[in-house]
Amino acid sequence: MTHRPYTPWLFLLPGLVICLAFTIFPFLNMIVLAFTDASALGGGQFTGVDNFVRMAQDPKFWVAARNSLLYMVCVVPPLVLLPLLIAMLAQKAVPGIGIFRTAFFTPVIASAVVVGLIWTWLLDSRGLVNNVVEALGGTRIGFLTDSTLLLVSSMVVTVWRGLGYYMVIYLAALANVPKDLHEAAMVDGAGPVRRFWSVTVPALRPTMVLIAALSAVNGFRVFSEIYLLSGGTGGPGGASTTMVLLIQSVGRGLTGEVGYASALSLVLFVVLLGLLLVTLKLNRREDQL
Amino acid sequence: MKRRTFLAGMVAVPVAGCGLSGTSNSGSSAGGQVTGEITFQTWSLKPKYTDYVNGVIDAFQQQHQGTTVKWVDQPADGYLAKVMADASAGTLPDVINVPPDLSFPLAKAGQLVDLDEVARDAKPEYLENAWQAFEIPGQGGCYGFPWYLNTGPLFYNKALFRQAGLDPDKPPANFDELEQYALKLAEKNIAILGQTPSIADFGLYGVKLFENGEFTFNEPKGVELVESYKRMYDAGALIPEALTQNYTGAGTKFMAQQTAMNPGSAYDLGKFKTDAPSLYANIGITTPITNTGSANMFLHGVSVPKSSKNQATALAFGRFVTNAANQVAFAKLASIFPSTTKGGDDPYFTTEDGSDEARVRVAAAKQLKTAVNYTPVQFSDQMREALLQQLADAMLGKKSPKEALDAAVEECNRLLK
Repeated sequence: MTHRPYTPWLFLLPGLVICLAFTIFPFLNMIVLAFTDASALGGGQFTGVDNFVRMAQDPKFWVAARNSLLYMVCVVPPLVLLPLLIAMLAQKAVPGIGIFRTAFFTPVIASAVVVGLIWTWLLDSRGLVNNVVEALGGTRIGFLTDSTLLLVSSMVVTVWRGLGYYMVIYLAALANVPKDLHEAAMVDGAGPVRRFWSVTVPALRPTMVLIAALSAVNGFRVFSEIYLLSGGTGGPGGASTTMVLLIQSVGRGLTGEVGYASALSLVLFVVLLGLLLVTLKLNRREDQL
Repeated sequence: MKRRTFLAGMVAVPVAGCGLSGTSNSGSSAGGQVTGEITFQTWSLKPKYTDYVNGVIDAFQQQHQGTTVKWVDQPADGYLAKVMADASAGTLPDVINVPPDLSFPLAKAGQLVDLDEVARDAKPEYLENAWQAFEIPGQGGCYGFPWYLNTGPLFYNKALFRQAGLDPDKPPANFDELEQYALKLAEKNIAILGQTPSIADFGLYGVKLFENGEFTFNEPKGVELVESYKRMYDAGALIPEALTQNYTGAGTKFMAQQTAMNPGSAYDLGKFKTDAPSLYANIGITTPITNTGSANMFLHGVSVPKSSKNQATALAFGRFVTNAANQVAFAKLASIFPSTTKGGDDPYFTTEDGSDEARVRVAAAKQLKTAVNYTPVQFSDQMREALLQQLADAMLGKKSPKEALDAAVEECNRLLK
């Protein structure tokens, strides 16, 4: 059977048009805008690398970059390890395990705004957590009013929200770990801990690398958690601002500095692309070993 | 806002897709016949005021046969994004509901019709302070028909005043007294306020906010105000969230009885009654704290974009919507006030019937005669954020009040350019 050479393209066309209009064109436009002084209401003169020079001298940029990096470094280890442990528990065929799995997956499908509001109420200076702390004789803790604690609180929410999602990925990967490997290890006298480190972890290594890469990217470009917990302000003095929050703050509204915000976006893109390439390279190298 | 896909999605979508495609409009065609179709965009008036707005539209269409007004109401969430997208694409509706701070960037970009040029005779119909709110200092011109106004009393919690041994019938009347009361309340671990000062508070304190095309609120009086707030913050008279709180957040804290005072409006009184009855039972109502003798005023207006293909009808409708009769009718439905010279003398705004609502309404209407929209039209969202962040640094002692204000003014002036 023969077909016309352009037939596959016809099938691809709707997807390609959507991709071009809503992803590729805005992306290219962002690159162009990064080298201009464009505002939200149009215009914009070519300004060369002025936006990047300004960025290098902008203390807010360095605060945001530091916080995003810190965020990524802190959320990746728990998001790689905790969902694995939960997946191993959820994998067991015991009565009521469905409720357990659902409970862990619920935060994934819950709206980010709802999640943010619930945690804000919990962590507010007069919130549930502080009321418990005070009832136990402690002093109220500024979870949302201290810039460091605000970042930590936001990280906790990110980890909490991510557990269920990564748990599902691990569940799929665990189902592919050959049972005979575990049986062979048991015959050789390996206990559950030894089997975990010597059988499960090596078998899941590609999945763990994938989750590390995904959670690192998501951690670096965190927005909703920190936005909602700080009421959109980036914490006292803006000290808890992250990169995407800074981009939103600079570029929003009719008075937004779209050129500068685009330059910040471009830097964020390059950093994340570099991060992904490094992860891919490391993964390939390990595969070859 | 958060539509992203992998890789390309890592860039901030909100900033992409705008900028180079902006339009500029020149010239206007305000003259001509009042006929044809126009679109009228309002800010979150459906469904509560659907009948009212439809009534106004019907009346206009009857008065001007051959006209059709298409009403589009946008929810408050995303209103700014919608205006921005339309302005960027040159497709703003013919008549658009905007507050002064939204009209400023549009007018600065040359997108709004200057009413001083095409409808100067309308000026005497509106309160002078309301008309001035839509003027752009330095650039000249007026870019919106003033619509509804609001100002409000200062609410305070009498129960918390009693707890601190303060006379619940003698609330603070000026900023010096505010600090005295705050320190007294703080002795009993009661916070008086839920917010650091806004730009309007600087105005109420008597600080020169803007002069000769520049922000000037770092003048000695401004520093004095921040020093006062710093003393209150150190004493625990401001809740910890004050450093990141906006007007709405501070209102919520007052409703939860976590702060003793909060500025509000007649609308809030109704909210207290239904949502916080225990607060309502102890609510104290007083005049706003001001060193200038003039209260703060908030207002909305309607503007006509230059891109409108039917400016004559758009201008006629903008003027019709904001005329005294229509504004008074609207004010009787909502807890707002007319911005017209004639509307304010309606007995509804001058006669008390013994209820708290009427008392607040009459007092507010009186207050509006001399009220000022203290927030300069140039003061953008980014500037608001810069001030909030610098004040937080001042409260936390990371910067002195002078250093913080200098930094805020420097950033605001940079953003102005």
